[in-house]
Amino acid sequence: MKRKVVILVAVAALLAAPAAYAGDETRWVNVHVTENSSNTNVEVHLPLSLVLTVLRNVDVENFHGGHVDLELDDDMDINFPEIMAAVKEAPDGKFVTVTSDEADVNVHKQAGNLYVTVNQKEDEMAKVEVTMPLELLDALSFGEENTLDVAALLQSFDKLPDGDIVKVTSNEANVRVWIE
Amino acid sequence: MNGQRGMSTVGAVLLAATAGLLTATLMMDWMVVDVHVVDVSDHDDIQVDAPLHIKVPFPLLIANIATGFIPDEAFEEAHIPPEVKAQKELVLATVRALLDTPDAELVKVRTEDANVDIYKDGDTLRIAVDADDAVVRCNVPIDGILDALEDWDWETFDPQMVFDVLHAAENGDLVTVATKDGVRVAIKMW
Repeated sequence: MKRKVVILVAVAALLAAPAAYAGDETRWVNVHVTENSSNTNVEVHLPLSLVLTVLRNVDVENFHGGHVDLELDDDMDINFPEIMAAVKEAPDGKFVTVTSDEADVNVHKQAGNLYVTVNQKEDEMAKVEVTMPLELLDALSFGEENTLDVAALLQSFDKLPDGDIVKVTSNEANVRVWIE
Repeated sequence: MNGQRGMSTVGAVLLAATAGLLTATLMMDWMVVDVHVVDVSDHDDIQVDAPLHIKVPFPLLIANIATGFIPDEAFEEAHIPPEVKAQKELVLATVRALLDTPDAELVKVRTEDANVDIYKDGDTLRIAVDADDAVVRCNVPIDGILDALEDWDWETFDPQMVFDVLHAAENGDLVTVATKDGVRVAIKMW
């Protein structure tokens, strides 16, 4: 009897091993959109590898091979890598606080994350929350001709812990993008 | 005496031919179009089973051969816009990546009028649409789609693509459409 149980457990473990391995390996990008007025609910659950493959092969006007053209004027001389490095090295705290009749904007750094929150005070009354782990700043790769490597940025999602990336709530719709 | 007990040459040839024909028939891929009419006045459920069926089976091989007789000019007129060919690499890469994707529900849409679910299940993409006036189930063989797209010239319509997809389809329902009018059409592979 004992022997049978041992064999059964061994077989179950063997069968479960590939599934557990696959589960660890695949990172999923999730998008959840709810439109309040029409009672519409959309859930998209795609492996990061699939999203990356698509991005790297898109070839349209401002987007080629995973790079987006930022379309900045030539006379604008912005050193993005230097800005990113400064943000990363800065101590935790509030970086930007804007209060107006239209919206409040807040940018702060805390525990390895950069948080951007926008609270709209009119129209759709939208509330936008963006969480950007600072590891992502390392993946922000800017080309010589003002291009941003979006594919490299997404590739870095692979190393992120599970959690929300973008969350938007408003009277009309709610959007949540997270990785797991 | 031996002639009375044994099989005649003609009989042996006929038996062998019948066996050969039967084997060839069984080995062929068959497609069955199953039209199923439900009396909707009696049933609210548009997927309900009913005795009236019209089944039209035909072997894919014969259909494939038959398309060979369609004049080339007919296909030359069916030109594919060049914008489609420009996206060839994107489409091929996406289908390949989809084939490597672990099994899961990829898309789920819920609205007041319809529900849509898309699942990846092995080499098959299962699409389910439940609308107020129709229910659609579609099982798309991803490997067959990839084979067909890889072999396609991306310039003209090629009926061989359809057969590549059908050959790769798993046995069972390929497409099922059930409408509110009580007609259910199923295309099955066998």
